[in-house]
Amino acid sequence: MTIAAAKRRLPVSERLRRSLSNGRVTAALVLLPPALILFSLFVMLPLGESAYYSFFNWNGYGTPTEFVGLENFERIAGHSIFHTAVGNTLKIVAVSLFLQMPLALLLALLIHRKTPTNAVFRLIFFLPYILAEVAAGLIWSFVFDGNYGITASIAGFFGAESFFILADREWAFAAVMTVIVWKYFGFHMMIYIAALQSVPEDQIEAARIEGARRLQIVRYVQIPHIKPAIVVSAFFAIIGALQVFDVIIPLTNGGPSNQTHTIVTYLYTFGLTRLNIGFGSAVGVILFIAAITVALFYQRIFMRGKQA
Amino acid sequence: MSEVQLQNITKSFGAMTVIPNLNLTVPDGSFTVLVGPSGCGKSTLLRIISGLEMPSSGDVLIGGQDVTLEEPSKRGISMVFQSYALYPHMTVAQNIDFGLRLARMPAAEREARVAEAARILALEDYLDRKPGQLSGGQRQRVAIGRSIVRHPKVFLFDEPLSNLDAALRTQMRVELAQLHQSLDATMIYVTHDQVEAMTLADQIVVMNAGRIEQVGAPMELYDRPQTEFVAGFIGSPKMNLLPGSAIGQEEVKTVGIRPEHIAVTGEGGDWPAVAQVVETLGADTVVYAKAERIGDVTVRLPGNIRLKAGERLSLTPERANLHLFGHDGRRMEVVQ
Repeated sequence: MTIAAAKRRLPVSERLRRSLSNGRVTAALVLLPPALILFSLFVMLPLGESAYYSFFNWNGYGTPTEFVGLENFERIAGHSIFHTAVGNTLKIVAVSLFLQMPLALLLALLIHRKTPTNAVFRLIFFLPYILAEVAAGLIWSFVFDGNYGITASIAGFFGAESFFILADREWAFAAVMTVIVWKYFGFHMMIYIAALQSVPEDQIEAARIEGARRLQIVRYVQIPHIKPAIVVSAFFAIIGALQVFDVIIPLTNGGPSNQTHTIVTYLYTFGLTRLNIGFGSAVGVILFIAAITVALFYQRIFMRGKQA
Repeated sequence: MSEVQLQNITKSFGAMTVIPNLNLTVPDGSFTVLVGPSGCGKSTLLRIISGLEMPSSGDVLIGGQDVTLEEPSKRGISMVFQSYALYPHMTVAQNIDFGLRLARMPAAEREARVAEAARILALEDYLDRKPGQLSGGQRQRVAIGRSIVRHPKVFLFDEPLSNLDAALRTQMRVELAQLHQSLDATMIYVTHDQVEAMTLADQIVVMNAGRIEQVGAPMELYDRPQTEFVAGFIGSPKMNLLPGSAIGQEEVKTVGIRPEHIAVTGEGGDWPAVAQVVETLGADTVVYAKAERIGDVTVRLPGNIRLKAGERLSLTPERANLHLFGHDGRRMEVVQ
């Protein structure tokens, strides 16, 4: 009989007595409650509440009484602006993955070595990330201003007619995505720089001796080495894209004609500002499920190898 | 023909010159070991030969061709690193044929070369494994395999055995010597371990502070060290380096005598001494003694000699085997 099997056969009282005597239960009783209470109070409770409100037609005042079942979800599913918001969020995911991350990787490869010049460039590229989102949104709203902005000056320089890109239904969201890429590429770049600095120099030197050119070293040595960092950065990019909010409000406030909403600005505009707390909560639940799905996929696909 | 010549090589990092004007010829097919203490410039010299480091001035010639400005991959060299520098995401086979794939060699020939290297290095069973699943010795063999398949003119080794445990190091030393015999290629090997240098080399280059102290065959360095530094560096246990007064010659700064060239007699020897520590190694007994007015003296005796710490000894050096060094640290040629 194995030791594990012997343990299983012990009566409950005996197992409890042993656990108590070796201090494991005491440790759990002492150490678990603070984290458990805080997590329940600030994460589980609001989530549960939000899920509860999503079944009510409620304006946020008093106690919710008008139970509407899944009606809020039905309204969301049929709302064209929600479709646009989801589409926009997916566009941000795509731009983050296929434009922002490659750009960040390219810059990281150029400036990852520790030199004084590179340190200056690193700081410059990281600055947008340090800037508050609302400030960044405001700065870019000035840049894009058709009357006084830099784009107006550029258009004027080439003798072209001034244009108001943030008021253009076709192009406003492209401008928003430009700001998002500008704002967050520095963050991803820093992740890559940290990872690239940990690539052993002799592996790169060995590749040089083997005849690898610069791009081949990047492809065969550096990128495989920083793959875990790329995966983490992709995870942050997707989760970040699902949360984009404070850059959009000062830039377009979701306009023109509700063309530049993301899921969160949609929640804010149609849930909070219009006092449809039940409706907003339903959007929140959908967003939560989306985020959880991404996290689970990440866990399943990328963390699998690490558990062994 | 793969002789390596270094002509007037100087290397400076900023204001610091680590190699001042060095000349060296590594004969074709030789196993040359660069040996010296940490920071003596031996690894820098190897990196200059490999092309990973550019000399500040001077020329590097391989097989008679000036390769000073050539890329590492164009020099016909291969290098084995101290850390092995294997790619963790590639299998053993992929690690070994990485350079061949880069050179777009046909698959059939690549496979043949990998198979040959795997056979020579007994790696056949591990070709599909990742480096992380291998032991230190196996990783070292993969790194050597990566060198072999490129059929280089010159093999460079940068302290390849220093990450292995003592037993494995001895085994790999033998394997490297066999490899050199079977490949008949020029090998340049950097180490700080004089035992590795003595056992592997047919030419040893002893370096100190960026300069070459002496170049020669192992026994030449052992029997006739040209400088006090070489005398103290080559040989284990180390040569005794005593003041000239020990043999009554005040004009001699240092007199060297190897531990095996000192006889222990009961009475009437030259240096009365007391045994401090006795190491019984089996084949040898090494005695660390303190001699009156001279200082510490190490003596190597046959293994069957039984001595105890604290025992009084009388030591007599073999006159024919004294090495005398002047105030410039160089060997003095003295007629006995």
